[in-house]
Order: sequence, then C-alpha cells, then structure tokens
Amino acid sequence: MRIPILKLRDYLLISVQVELDDKTALQFQEDVLSKIHEEGSRGVVIDLTSVEMIDSFIAKVLGDVVDMSNLMGAKVVLTGIQPPVAITLIDMGIMLEDVPTALDLEQGLDRLQLELEG
Amino acid sequence: MNANISHIIFKHKESIIDQWLEEIPKFRTEDSLQNITDAMYENTNREFVDKLLSTVKNQTNDHADLVPFTERLIQLGWPLNYITRGLQEFRKITVATLSKSETDYNDSIELLQEIENWIDEIVNLLVNEYSGSWENTVFLQKMALKELSAPLIPVVDKISVMPLIGTIDTERAKHIMENLLTGVIEHRAEVVLIDITGVPVVDTMVAHHIIQASEAVRLVGAKCILVGIRPEIAQTIVNLGINLNKFPTKSTLKKGIETALEMTKRQIVEMEG
Amino acid sequence: MQVQTHVDINSEWGIVAARQAGRKLAREIGFGSVDQARITTAISELARNIYLYANKGQIYIEEVSNANKRGVKITAIDQGPGIKDVRKVMEDGFTTSGGLGAGLPGVRRLMDDFTIDSEVNNGTTISAIKWLR
Repeated sequence: MRIPILKLRDYLLISVQVELDDKTALQFQEDVLSKIHEEGSRGVVIDLTSVEMIDSFIAKVLGDVVDMSNLMGAKVVLTGIQPPVAITLIDMGIMLEDVPTALDLEQGLDRLQLELEG
Repeated sequence: MNANISHIIFKHKESIIDQWLEEIPKFRTEDSLQNITDAMYENTNREFVDKLLSTVKNQTNDHADLVPFTERLIQLGWPLNYITRGLQEFRKITVATLSKSETDYNDSIELLQEIENWIDEIVNLLVNEYSGSWENTVFLQKMALKELSAPLIPVVDKISVMPLIGTIDTERAKHIMENLLTGVIEHRAEVVLIDITGVPVVDTMVAHHIIQASEAVRLVGAKCILVGIRPEIAQTIVNLGINLNKFPTKSTLKKGIETALEMTKRQIVEMEG
Repeated sequence: MQVQTHVDINSEWGIVAARQAGRKLAREIGFGSVDQARITTAISELARNIYLYANKGQIYIEEVSNANKRGVKITAIDQGPGIKDVRKVMEDGFTTSGGLGAGLPGVRRLMDDFTIDSEVNNGTTISAIKWLR
C-alpha cells in the first residue's frame, strides 16, 4: 500500500487516509524523501486527520521523516493530529519536540510559509 | 403481620406512644434538629410514631405508605442516625411493654420475631430511601463539578481561554486535557490561554499536568500561554525547580491576551472620533 | 457473556489485526475515543514487541470485570528469548531496537494495571488492563 503524495508548487501535500502498518509507514518515508529529491520541494505538509492511532514506531518514523526532510532542505509540518492521538502520545512520553504542527492542511500551509520566510 | 399480634400491639398503642415520646428527645443532639422549633419537632415525632403504628395493620411487610413521609423527613434534613435510633428505641419499648402485660400470650418467641421483622423491614425501607437520596445528591454534585471543571471559552477568533479553578488531581487533569483538545479543534483556536489564577496550589504534580496539556495542545496544532501566575506561585515553581520554559507565561489574563493577539498578528486599536 | 479474542502475531499484519480487534472490543465495552486510542496503541506496542523480539506469539484481548467495574485486558504471550533485565526495559528511553524506547513504559502509562513476567530463554508474558471509568 502506498500513500499518495501531491505536489503543489514548492510544496508536497500528503493526507494519510489509511491505517498505518509498519511497511506502509516505512514505504511512505522513502517516498517522501525521493519526492523531495525529485521535485526540489521546500516544504511538506503531512495531514493526519484520519489517523486514529500513532504508536511509538509510527511516531519514530514520522519524527525521522521530519529530521531527514530538514536535512534535505525541506520543512515539514504535521497537521490534524486528533485529540485522542495527541493524548496517547503524551501519555507515552512522546512529545515530538521541534516538530511544527498546525490544526489543518490550510493552516499547515500558512505555517510553512511563515517558517520559510522567517 | 399476624392479625393476632397486630391486635395486641394495637391494644397497647397509647402506652407505647407515650413512652417513646418521652425517651426520644434524648437523641435530639444533631445540629439539624436544634434549628427547628419545639412544636415542629414534637409534631413530627408524633406523626412518625403514628405512621409506624399504622403499618402494624398491613398484612404484608410492604410499607410503601411510609415512603412519602420519609421523603419529607429527608427534605427537612432529619438525620438518618436519629431515625434509626428512634426505631431501635421504639422496638425496645414495644417489646418491653408487651412482655410485661401479655404474659399469657403462649408464644412469646413468635411475638418477638414478628416485632423484629416488622421493625427491620421499616429500617430497610428508611435506609434505602436515605441512601438513594444521598447517591442522587453525590451524582448531581459530580455532574455539577464536571460541568464546572474546565470550559474552554472562545474569546475572539483564534483565541480561547480555559480558566482552571480548584485543585487539580489526576482524574481532573485527564478531563481537562480532553476538554482542552476537543475545544481547540471545535473553536479552531490557534492560541489557548490556560488561566491558573483559581488554582490554589501549584506543586510538581499540577505543573506536570499543565505541561502535558500544553504539549498535547501543541501536537494538535495550537499554542498555549500560561497566565494567572501569582507571586507565590512563581516562587513555588522556581523553588521546586519546575521548568516551564517551553511555553510563554504571563502574570495576568490581560497580558496573555495581548501576547496571543501578537502571535496571531493582530492588535486592538481605538476608534477615532 | 464475556468476549475473548486472540490474534496470532507472526507477521506485521498481525499487529494491525490485533489493533483492530482491540479497538472493536474497547468500543463495544463503551470506552471513549481517548481510551480506545490508548488501548489500541498499547496493543500495537505489545504486538510489535512480540514480532520484533520473539518473531511469533499471541495477543489475547478480553473483557474483564470485578465487583464494580468493567475493563479490557490485553495479554501478550511469546516463547521468545525473554527479557534479561525487566527493570531496565521499563525505563523511558531504553531501547535495543533503535526505537524510541517508549514501548513498555508507555504501555504501563496508557493502561491501569500492568504485569510482566519473563524468563530468559523461556518467553515473556505481559498483561495489562484498562478499566472503564
């Protein structure tokens, strides 16, 4: 299973609509990085509105995607993390520090613009 | 109740009532019974004992007709412990009276058992009514507390305030966190001000809950400002070595709102003219 | 009638299946969305540990009750290598797999009751209960 990645100008837009199993998550990581490489993207928004659960593995993959993309010169914003998911992550002690977040895709794009200008 | 026994009890009704009314005032120590007038007190006692004796005539042990009277006692605030002592006294007097005057009754054991059963049933009924009303009260208070617990109030576009009042324990912290996050999504808040003016003590535990809540708020995509930090709270926080550097803090809600407006790139301007 | 389901963990798909079974039962018992996420996440952590360290094992998910409350119990059983130092794996940030080291201590915080029983070379049994508030 592959998660579709949309390109919009300098940005990549990704809406995760499936339950993430380990393989899909790792495949996703690879796809995002090669897409950044291909397109020379400056920013990535990953929307997680439909994701019902993030465990420590998926959290690690997401955190890694953010760090790796930063290395390649692309800022990543995570959007739409649902309250139950946020609470569970905090309970687990996973803070995803230094990862920019926003309420939804639209605000995520605003946030990206801000980060890139600043 | 056995018709024969009920007849015997009824025969001694007046004597039982008189003795009981004489004995019962010694239990009148409770505050709630001090506040009512003597006339009211005596009237209610008399009504109580009349009701008790009227149940003798019931063939079954169903004393449903006592329920409305019990409800009134509860409303008037008569303590359960006065009522149960009154019933114990009533039983003692009844047994004493009957065993003195009905020596020819051929089955005294049966008589005792009947009286025991009769009074026990009434005790059960009263206790049930009382505890039912307590449970109800506790339930209502819990609900009230929950409602009062943590409202998230949208102040202006993109800015909401959550005033916290009272002690924060783990259970309440969970509740607050859920309200906070669902509120952020619902109001599309970009900045949330958590106002701890009404929190009496901020110890390591409370600070931990607040930090976790603000981290969770960040994950769903908004930012927290902690406001209402009184001097003594600032002192405890620093003395305990609690690190609140991860998010902005302000002494008052007013200052917090100013910061929130800045963060959302707006300001309040005065109209001219 | 109390429900018990069990899922064999011998591939990554087992992890997903166990999560889904757990969410379904938690929802049926009446857990709210936050606790559903906690339970599902705990199952995911336990199932992944089985897959990662023992290759195969089972996750049992059942409804439990005591005098005044209902809950869901997760039991993770494997015959893998076992855990040498249980105290160590319960520390935040300790990892042998390159993960976040949030797994087991995380499960303990997500759930209400937590017990771990492990013997080197003889496998591990972990059970955790979440009570309905």
